[in-house]
Amino acid sequence: MIKTIAKPQDKKITGCGECRSTCQSACKTSCTVGNQSCERISRENNPEKQGK
Amino acid sequence: MRSRYFLLLKFRYKMIHTFNYKDKYYIYDSGSGSLHECDKLTCEYVKAKYEKSCQMPVISKEKAEEIEKDLNGLKEQGLLFKEEVNVSPIKSSNIKALCLHICHDCNLRCRYCFADEGAYHSEREFMSEQTAKKAIDFLIANSGNRNVLEVDFFGGEPLMCLQTIKNVVAYARGKAEKSGKKFLFTTTTNALLLDDDAIDFFNREMENVVLSLDGRKEVHDAIRKTKNGKGSFDAVIGNIKKFVKSRGDKSYYVRGTFTAKNTDFSNDVIFLAESGFDSISMEPVVTDIDDLAIKESHLPEICNEYENLCEKYLEKYENGKGFNFFHFNIDLDGGVCLQKKVSACGAGNEYFSVVPNGDIYPCHQFAGDKDFLMGNVYEGKLNDGIRNNFASASLFTREDCGDCFAKFICSGGCAANNYHFEGDINKPYKITCEMMKKRIECGMHVLARKKELK
Repeated sequence: MIKTIAKPQDKKITGCGECRSTCQSACKTSCTVGNQSCERISRENNPEKQGK
Repeated sequence: MRSRYFLLLKFRYKMIHTFNYKDKYYIYDSGSGSLHECDKLTCEYVKAKYEKSCQMPVISKEKAEEIEKDLNGLKEQGLLFKEEVNVSPIKSSNIKALCLHICHDCNLRCRYCFADEGAYHSEREFMSEQTAKKAIDFLIANSGNRNVLEVDFFGGEPLMCLQTIKNVVAYARGKAEKSGKKFLFTTTTNALLLDDDAIDFFNREMENVVLSLDGRKEVHDAIRKTKNGKGSFDAVIGNIKKFVKSRGDKSYYVRGTFTAKNTDFSNDVIFLAESGFDSISMEPVVTDIDDLAIKESHLPEICNEYENLCEKYLEKYENGKGFNFFHFNIDLDGGVCLQKKVSACGAGNEYFSVVPNGDIYPCHQFAGDKDFLMGNVYEGKLNDGIRNNFASASLFTREDCGDCFAKFICSGGCAANNYHFEGDINKPYKITCEMMKKRIECGMHVLARKKELK
């Protein structure tokens, strides 16, 4: 029995470059893109916090 | 030199990765980015037949057929054995972010500091307000159509020149209003000078604050000492607690460093969580100091420790005392687009560091290395050769990443670590790779268990 845990959602916008610089996060030594969010989607979901 | 086309072709894999966390078994499909959970026999069957990395288990014909049926179903949905897509990295000449080394001096003398205890192997100096403002001008002028710009106040210890930071933030806000830009500021601090004034300012102006605290008092004090050689734990813990209490829902990270001296670092993470901090990062040290450096011989116990941390983290989560651990936040459902995933960290192309005299380097970890000096904010130009070298560095130029399951999550690692330990920004540093892969497996397990508990 195989159960799907996660599958990526289709992205409406790709390659826009609005994402944040990977190194501007907590670690400054071992940052990964895996725990970054898409800035466009984040702003759409929370325009006030993201300063739209 | 091999052509990039060749490298792109090389990446056209259909890769799966099977792994287990205690009695939980998983299949991760690199091409689709999907994660599946299965039973032990299915995992061993897939591992033997498709990864060819173990003996085929004893299995009945009926069970094998049942597994193949499941696998084919997922394959038809594009969730397994999906060919990895060869997209181009994001190419832009716009600058997104600057790390401003607002001072190359520090009020602590931490042995493991990559920045030579704040001095960066040079004179201890502060960035002038004029230079910092020039850096802001440089960022705006080179940001093209990008609206959101990021500035990280870094050191040394930035709070040694809080007034300069205040003036620069006010200047940037004013410039932003006129140019239609928005600034997001971060400060990385050791919290020794984090008084009420600094707390108030940070809460008003800093989108994120990174506070250095290594965990248990004895662990922290063994490394993070004042100029007089006294441990700094007692001097900072109250300040950090006060800050976090006042922070509301704004972003912060209490960030620790672990070394070869505390490979039981899960105890430090849990100590931080139990101290009331709910946003925590714990990073492996970057140093060549023999008794502190992480070596290959430490990897088994460190990987085991990530499992211990995973277990403790989930126990807290299940008991309603969950916290945010930076490296377990892997978002497989959402996250960034594939173009970003192959574009590496952006250092030297869209992100730079500026040292006190205005010199520009690819990132904070290259600061002071004259081979990587890219220009100066007063000149306003960047060395095209160095920038092109970093701009063309992507997942596809890191050949060693080709057969790694983690590549679309890690994006090829830290260019500075690669250079300092392997001599090439495109050659992944094996020790960090192993830790990264383990953290990613733990992050996937966390994701699965959280979904199960919902």
